Amino acid sequence: MKAEGDIYVVHRLLDEQICDSEGKRVGRVDDIELSGDPPRITALLVGEGLYPRRLPRSLARLARRISGPEVWGKNALRIPWEEVDELTSTVKLRKKAEELGLGLGDDPDRWIVRRLPWN
Amino acid sequence: MSATGRKRVRSAALLTLLVALLIGGSGCGDLSNDELNRGVESLSALAAQGRLVANGVARDATKTTYARAMARTLSEQAEHEAEKLADATLEEPGTADQRHAAVAVAEEISGLLSTLQTFPGDERHGELVEKHLGEAGEKADAIVAQLSGDAP
Amino acid sequence: MRAILKIALGIIAAIGGFLDIGDLVFTTQAGALFRYDLLWAVVLGVVGIAVYAEMSGRVAAVSGRPVFDVIRMRMGFGMGLAALIASTIVNVLTLAAELGGIAIVLELLFDAPYSMFVVAAAIALVGIVALLPFGGIERFFGYGGLLLLVVVATVFHQNPDWGEVGRGFIPSIDSSTLYLYFVVGVFAAALMPYEVHFYSSGAIEERWTEENLKENRLNAIVGYGVGGILAVGLVIVSGFLFHPLGVEPDNLGTVALPMQGAFGETGLLLALGGMLFCVGGAAIDSSFAASYNLAQFLGWEWGRYQGPRKAPRFTASWLVFLLLGIAIAQSGINPVDITEYSVVLAVVALPLTYLPVLLIAGDRSFMDRYANGRVASFLGWLYFAVIVVLALAAIPLLLATNAGGG
Repeated sequence: MKAEGDIYVVHRLLDEQICDSEGKRVGRVDDIELSGDPPRITALLVGEGLYPRRLPRSLARLARRISGPEVWGKNALRIPWEEVDELTSTVKLRKKAEELGLGLGDDPDRWIVRRLPWN
Repeated sequence: MSATGRKRVRSAALLTLLVALLIGGSGCGDLSNDELNRGVESLSALAAQGRLVANGVARDATKTTYARAMARTLSEQAEHEAEKLADATLEEPGTADQRHAAVAVAEEISGLLSTLQTFPGDERHGELVEKHLGEAGEKADAIVAQLSGDAP
Repeated sequence: MRAILKIALGIIAAIGGFLDIGDLVFTTQAGALFRYDLLWAVVLGVVGIAVYAEMSGRVAAVSGRPVFDVIRMRMGFGMGLAALIASTIVNVLTLAAELGGIAIVLELLFDAPYSMFVVAAAIALVGIVALLPFGGIERFFGYGGLLLLVVVATVFHQNPDWGEVGRGFIPSIDSSTLYLYFVVGVFAAALMPYEVHFYSSGAIEERWTEENLKENRLNAIVGYGVGGILAVGLVIVSGFLFHPLGVEPDNLGTVALPMQGAFGETGLLLALGGMLFCVGGAAIDSSFAASYNLAQFLGWEWGRYQGPRKAPRFTASWLVFLLLGIAIAQSGINPVDITEYSVVLAVVALPLTYLPVLLIAGDRSFMDRYANGRVASFLGWLYFAVIVVLALAAIPLLLATNAGGG
């Protein structure tokens, strides 16, 4: 991919809805991992722990106190670029959410969801 | 004076100005001619609305729960207005008579609407309340006219 | 043939569902204070929501993106979060006002305390949402709102000076701040964003595609346009009866007085019934709009059709918003006062949620051949200018007029 092509995709890729192979919504692209020279997209990053990064510096500290530190595997998740199937109005992944550790917030087995009366 | 000293004086001055504005601006319950006018006009409006409700009762063309609830709300509003007018200190002492009259009218309106609240299904009461509210409204309008006459 | 019937029924539901407590309050007050002089502002607002809704529906059908997906994608996380916070505050205040409105109308119909009715209303809404299918909910409240056609009947019964009424449709700018405040208020009450956010999310729930674009246009133009006639009617009946008497309609119950005057108890009951349905429907719409926006911004699973098991966070957030609405409605603040603030804050926040939709609706890379044509583009940008002007003027006018208190 050309450098211009990369940047165009990043502009259209960031903040997009992510869906797993079955169409389940599992978060948004909160950040993008670029590595190598020339820079290539190596992963999509998802999670509340990443929100402070996206805010201007004055608000970032307050946001960091609310969302807590970045804990990879908990509030910050990494989806390798190879797992992306196609880009339409959402980012469609190759696998199901569970296989990638995604969608736990809406997982009925999570403790907070278990407490809800209809479960 | 040092730079910090000048800053302190400036902050103190601003603070004093702010406090003065707040006290002066709020009027601390002072009733200007305009506000007295507004208060009496709203009495006229309450009386007019009350008449519409009473008219519905008089014609047996309304629902009693509606008439009762409306009468209760309007009566409370008139009572509240009476208290506001009675509590406030007048900016212009010449309007004391009008203020006294306004409080009396407000109490009268509140009383009439309370009657309607008690008898929301009684056509006879509806007729009487409608008539008396009309008279009260006219009294309120007269007070407004006097105040406008007084105003420069 | 069945398709045409389905679309027609949808439009009828949109007509009945057009009004909410903001419209009821602002139109009645506008009529009482300024007689027919603000009719042009009502029409301006009605056309505005038709434009915004048509664009949002088109964007949803063609690109599969509801409003807050567009907002986050086009404006990024920071600005999008600002839009979300503003929108959520407005939606919760609106929800509280609508819940309070339901309770007030119930109080006028039945003898029981207000606070009991607030809780009863919320429970009833949860029951309706849980039991009725999504489309059924819209039709239930929409058809019920049609009871307010008694307002139109009242206009003809009153037989006002039609020349005077006609002149009200010609824009005029009175220099008084109170008049300007009501220009903003009447416009903003007609163009409440939660309605459009709900509509666009509903389009996704119904799995709209390009085939639904005609329906989208009809809903926006005919549905909201004809619904606007009810708002116009309220200004007229209120102006005819209240203006000469100097009545100040500070209570929700006052809205029904002209209909009682014209048609007695029947008119009163039709008016109150219609008010109950339109405010109830608005409570549903604003509560869902709050949850839709939050879930869409954060990327959660969402949707009434998904149900609580598949979209637990979305469902939980809906209940939390409902509880917040109940709490505010119970706090003792008059719902009519809450309405003044929710309507004014809505227009202040409106540019943030309107602009991204306008930009995407005109962007061929998203919309292909369905991007804004010349008419849509002209109207879209014209209204953006109007909205920005009103958004800037709203809070100063609110403060200067003491929320319309004068």
